Amino acid sequence: MTMTVRTTNATRRALTFTALAAPALVLMAVVNAYPVFYAAVQSVHQGNLIQQGPFVGLENYGTVLTDPDFWNAARFTAIFTVAGVLGSWVVGYALGLVFRRYFVGRAALKVLLLLPWIVPVVVTTMSWNWLVATSSSPLPVLFEAVGLEDVLFLADPTLAAVIVCLFKIWISFPFMFVMMSAALEGIDPTVYEAATLDGAGRWTVLTAITLPLTARSVYISWVLMSMFTINDFPTIFLLTGGGPVDATTTLVVLAYDRVFQAFQPGTGVAIAFVMTAALIAISLALFRSIRRVH
Amino acid sequence: MRADAKHFRPNRRNFLALGAATAAAPMLGACDGGGSPSLESLTFWDMVWGTGAPYTEVAETIAAEYDPGDLHPVQYQSIPWANWYQTFTSAVASGTGPAVSTGASFQPFFFLEQGTVAPADGAIDLLEADGKADFLPGILDAMNTDQGYAGIPWGLDLRVFWYRESILQDAGLEPPTTWPELLEVGKQLREIDVVGLGLAAGSDTTDAQKTIVSLMISNGGGLFNENAEPDVTSEANIETLEFVLELVREGIIDPRSVSYNSDNLDSDWGSGRVGMGFHQTGLDRVLSGEAAEDVRVASPLVSPNGLTGSLYYINAIMLYTDTPDTASGEQFAAWYAAQTDKFWTDGVMIDLPVTERVAALPEITENPNVVKSIEEWQPVGKTIAAQSPQAFGALNSVDGGRAMASFVQRVVQGESEALPLLETLQADIEELMG
Repeated sequence: MTMTVRTTNATRRALTFTALAAPALVLMAVVNAYPVFYAAVQSVHQGNLIQQGPFVGLENYGTVLTDPDFWNAARFTAIFTVAGVLGSWVVGYALGLVFRRYFVGRAALKVLLLLPWIVPVVVTTMSWNWLVATSSSPLPVLFEAVGLEDVLFLADPTLAAVIVCLFKIWISFPFMFVMMSAALEGIDPTVYEAATLDGAGRWTVLTAITLPLTARSVYISWVLMSMFTINDFPTIFLLTGGGPVDATTTLVVLAYDRVFQAFQPGTGVAIAFVMTAALIAISLALFRSIRRVH
Repeated sequence: MRADAKHFRPNRRNFLALGAATAAAPMLGACDGGGSPSLESLTFWDMVWGTGAPYTEVAETIAAEYDPGDLHPVQYQSIPWANWYQTFTSAVASGTGPAVSTGASFQPFFFLEQGTVAPADGAIDLLEADGKADFLPGILDAMNTDQGYAGIPWGLDLRVFWYRESILQDAGLEPPTTWPELLEVGKQLREIDVVGLGLAAGSDTTDAQKTIVSLMISNGGGLFNENAEPDVTSEANIETLEFVLELVREGIIDPRSVSYNSDNLDSDWGSGRVGMGFHQTGLDRVLSGEAAEDVRVASPLVSPNGLTGSLYYINAIMLYTDTPDTASGEQFAAWYAAQTDKFWTDGVMIDLPVTERVAALPEITENPNVVKSIEEWQPVGKTIAAQSPQAFGALNSVDGGRAMASFVQRVVQGESEALPLLETLQADIEELMG
């Protein structure tokens, strides 16, 4: 009898909780699942943003995967991601190591170093544009002063790609700095003392102790930064718009172009889905590495 | 008090009942068939034109003065340009779009083809009846389609050839009147480190695209033939592009301009680095100080084919099919189009007016650059649909799209001969048009 009452109460409580949680769950499903479902539907139709158009099956995916523009954008996305993730990590990690030691003005400098990350990207792209875009910009003037004339920072495809990657590193390293500083703080100082007593040099300490002990945080920061970089639209769009001659077009910029400039949402969304699949694959690979470290 | 407290004691059942009642209330309210006795307002979406905030203030004041009589009143809403396409398409698709709007140049043509915008013939009839349809030559015709007028013209973004008078005078040069003269004057300017054909070819601006298409039109070419089919590889276009590539080779076009945005270009106009180039008619309003006083509109340049021409964009007021009342929309659109004169009398518009009556206003005739633009450039201007007699919806994706951006960037880089560049553009436009 007592058992039955307890079961009834438990059922009622479960029902109540379900009822209370239902609005939030439905809202989440609508907010998250509906746009994805709608986008998936768009990717198998050939329409525009007003009319869905005829069903074309996987034709849009075929079009995307045979489009040279897609592979050009995929190639630059890979370069941009590797440069952005590794570049910002190297700088962030190095700064994390430096800032482990106390020195005068450390706190103020730490705040200053976070500025590229804190300042809105619209402002930072404008300042970089001012720095390099025209012949009267400071950097071209400086280069001209040392005898390097006509350096086309944003007009030359290779240099523009380099500038975009450098810009990405510049706005991203503070994030890595924060992540790596936290990871380095977590290492027990006695490990270093023991290593010193055993006669380990600085390089050995770094490669045999510091890096392995922070590997988990490193992989997590790589996963996060990979996602940020692959999905980074404003950096490219505001600095170069994907030019010159598509040299800095990433997949997310290409998808935007297809949907909102060429008015072909089917192919644009197909690009986004292919991109998402690639992102999931990269994340899984990195998470597997994290598990191995763990 | 105690009894009340007992009565309202919160428990699980009461809480759920209260939640259900709260959720049901709006739905029950929506079922109320009463409604307001007054007529539903039409929504008028207006883009941020001209001088921005001052423009919007004047526009809002105009709309507030509208007396609908027995018809539906109108509610003004300013719409920013950022993501305009998404704003309009999502609103229209969800049935929450405007009844009347201004918008991008080819938006009415695209929406008309989609059945979202209605022909504006009724509103234009009202304007004619009111004696206010005194459009400049070719303007109303450019809005014509097989279904009727796509919208009511009210403003004109026209590309004209500008030069810095003091720079040319100091160099002992006269402004060019023909393409060969442009080449020669450009070479002379290059000697004093001044750019002879300033343009911005970055991916986020259409400036260079407009310059090259202006030159194509000037030479009797354009992106389309008379049947509205892509015709990029015409003889006239090949000749035009060979000329532009010569300007690139001679250093008359700045190689840096491949990544320029419009701010970079305006900065070069202001600093005197650029001495000549195509720009919209309001350049003297965009620049400040000495440069604003120094820029002059030249006469249209005569091309090797002995022709002149340029590119223009017509800003139109469009009427939507999803409207509470078509007659109310037409009445308001016609009335508002007639009131737009105030934008020029109040000095909040940078583009040109489209009517004879505004062109004759002292605010217009006092500016020799504007007078020259209206008298000499407007009559030879065409839309980007040239040489097609009618504009069409696909221009929405051609104008300002990646195909055109890549094309002009390749041109400015001088990386190829004219024909291969034009063939690539032809293929890209064909793909865009499906």
